[in-house]
Amino acid sequence: MTKRITRAALLTALALILFVAEAQIPPLVPIPGVKLGLANAVTVWAMFSLGPADTLAILLARILLGSVFAGSVSAAIFSLSGGVLCYLAMLLLRRILTESQMWVCSVFAAVCHNAGQLLAAILVYRTKGLALYFPVLMLSGIVTGLFTGLTAQLVARRLGRRG
Amino acid sequence: MPRGKLMLPALLLCLLLCACGKAAERSVGFFAMDTYMSVRAVGADEETLAGCRSLAEELEAKLSVTDADSEIAALNAAGRGILSPETAELLRRALALCGETEGALDVTVYPVVRAWGFTAGAYRVPTSEELTQLLQAVDYRGVEITGEGSVLLPPGVELDLGSVAKGYAGDRLCAYLREKGVKSAILDLGGNVQALGGKADGSPWRVGIRDPDGDGMLGVVSIRDEAAVTSGGYERFFTDAEGRVWWHIIDPETGYPARNGLLSVTVVGPEGLRCDALSTALFIMGQEKAEAFWRADRGFELALVTEDGVLRLTPGLYTRFEPAKDLRCTLEVIPDA
Amino acid sequence: MLKTRAWIAIVAAAALVLGLLSWYTLTKKGSGSVVEIVQDGKVLRTIDLDLVAAEYSFTVECPEGGSNTILVQPGRICVAEADCPDRICVHQGWLSDGAAPVVCMPHRLVLRLKDGEEADAVVR
Repeated sequence: MTKRITRAALLTALALILFVAEAQIPPLVPIPGVKLGLANAVTVWAMFSLGPADTLAILLARILLGSVFAGSVSAAIFSLSGGVLCYLAMLLLRRILTESQMWVCSVFAAVCHNAGQLLAAILVYRTKGLALYFPVLMLSGIVTGLFTGLTAQLVARRLGRRG
Repeated sequence: MPRGKLMLPALLLCLLLCACGKAAERSVGFFAMDTYMSVRAVGADEETLAGCRSLAEELEAKLSVTDADSEIAALNAAGRGILSPETAELLRRALALCGETEGALDVTVYPVVRAWGFTAGAYRVPTSEELTQLLQAVDYRGVEITGEGSVLLPPGVELDLGSVAKGYAGDRLCAYLREKGVKSAILDLGGNVQALGGKADGSPWRVGIRDPDGDGMLGVVSIRDEAAVTSGGYERFFTDAEGRVWWHIIDPETGYPARNGLLSVTVVGPEGLRCDALSTALFIMGQEKAEAFWRADRGFELALVTEDGVLRLTPGLYTRFEPAKDLRCTLEVIPDA
Repeated sequence: MLKTRAWIAIVAAAALVLGLLSWYTLTKKGSGSVVEIVQDGKVLRTIDLDLVAAEYSFTVECPEGGSNTILVQPGRICVAEADCPDRICVHQGWLSDGAAPVVCMPHRLVLRLKDGEEADAVVR
C-alpha cells in the first residue's frame, strides 16, 4: 500500500513539474487553449501501467495542485472538465489498445481534454462564438497527444526493459 | 428516372438565381457637406448613385457657409443678395422653423458658433462681453426675404443653414431616388439617417440610436419612409483649461453651449429637414419644453436622453423601439398629456 | 484489436478533416461591428467599432488580480497589453481579422463580436 501511495505521489510530482515547466515556455501559436500538455504523458503511462484507480488519483491531484501553482481558481474549472472527459476516453480506449498503441490513447485523451476545456469555457464565458475554436483545438490535441503519447510509450519501453 | 433526379437541383438553382437577382443592392459613399455620406439603395444603377453624389455636392456648393463661393457665403459677405429659388425656399422653411421653435433654433447664430471655434476647430471660450456683443446680431426675425428670393440682412447678421442642410439633403436625395424608380434605400448623411421605403424583404429599416454616454447603442428603432436625426453634445466638443466641457450646440439665447439637462435628442419623422431642425431646437429647449413641444405638435416621434441617465420615448416610438440587451438607462415613456 | 496501421489511418484522416475545418473557422471573417467585452460571462462594455472616431484604450482589471489593456481603433479592437503568464490574448491580434473571439483564459476575459440585433444604420 505504502509503495502504491509513494509511486502515485512521485508520479503526481513528476506531472506537476512537467506542468509548471511547460508554463514557462512561451506559447508557440497565438490560439487560446493550445498547449503541449506534457503532463498528459504521465497520465497515459499510469493508465496503462498502474490502472484506472491510481490514474484518477494522480490526475485529480495534478489538476488541483496545478491550479494552485498557476494561481487561478478558474483554471481549475477548465482543467477539471477537460481532465474528466480525457479520463473517460482513456478508460474506454485502454480496453481495446495494446501497450504499443499507447499513442492512440494519448491522442484521443488530448482531443477530449481540449474539447472538455472548450465546452467549459463556452459555458463559463457564455460565448457561443468560442465554438469556432473546436476544430483547431481538436487538431492541436491530435498533434500534442501524438507527441506526449510517443513520449509515454518510449518511457514505458525503457522502464519495461530494465524491469 | 433521370429527369426526376435533375428536377431538384434545377429548381434550387432557379431559386438561387432569383434570390441573387432580387437582392441587387448597391451602395456609394462620399464626402460632402463636411461629413461622410453613404447611400445604400436596392435596384439602383451606378448612374443613379453617382447622381446622389453630385446632388449632395451641388447642395454643398449652394449652402456651405465656409465656402466663399457659395450663395450663403456671398450673402453673408454682402449683407444682401438674390438667392436661387431652391436656396430661397430652404431659407423660408428654416426661418419658419425658427419661429415655430420660438428662436430655440436660430439660423443667425453663426457668428457666435464661430467665436467658439466650432467652425474651424480652433476651440476657445469667448468672454461674456464678447458674447453679449455678438448676440446683438443674433436674431432670425431681422432677416428679410421677398417672394423673388431677394434677401436683406441687418448689419452684422450672418446666416448658416447648417442646422437644416443635411436634413434637407436627405429629403432631396430620397425624392431623387424615388424619381429614379428606387423603392428601397437607406441614407446615412454623417449620422442623419433617412429611409426610403422599407428593406427589400418588406421589413422596416433598423436604425440604431447611439448611446451618448459610451460607444454602444441604446437600442434599435424601426423606420420606414422616415428620417431619424440626433443632436447631442457628445459629437463635437472640447474641454477647456479648467476641465469644463463645451459642446457645439449653442443656445442663441445665452451664446453658451446649451446645457438644459439633455445629453441627446433624437427626432423621427417623415421629413429630414424638419427632424434636423427640431433635434437641435429641442436639445436647446431642454426636457420639459421639448416634451411640451411634442405634445402640441405630434407630427414626429421623440427620444430624449437626460443627464441623469433616463431614456424617454414618445409612446409611438416606444412600440417600435428594441432596447439594447445591456441598456444602462432607465426607460420611460413620455406622458401623452 | 485494431491494427496499428488502421489507427494511423483513422488519426491521419481526422487530422486532415480537422485541419481543413480549422483553416475555415480561423480565417472566417466576422460580421457586424459591435464588440462586447466580457468577463466571467458578464458584458462589461459594448463598443460599436464603426462609431469609433479616434484611437483610445482602457484597462480591464481581473477580480483575482492582473489586468488587460484594450486598444480600440476605428473599426478594430485588440488586447494591447496584459500581465497574464502566456499573453496569448495579446498575440491573437485584432478581433476584426476573424470571427473567433479573442480570449484571455487566465483573466477570464473575452472580446467577441455581438450577434443578432444588428442595425442597418446608426443615427448619431
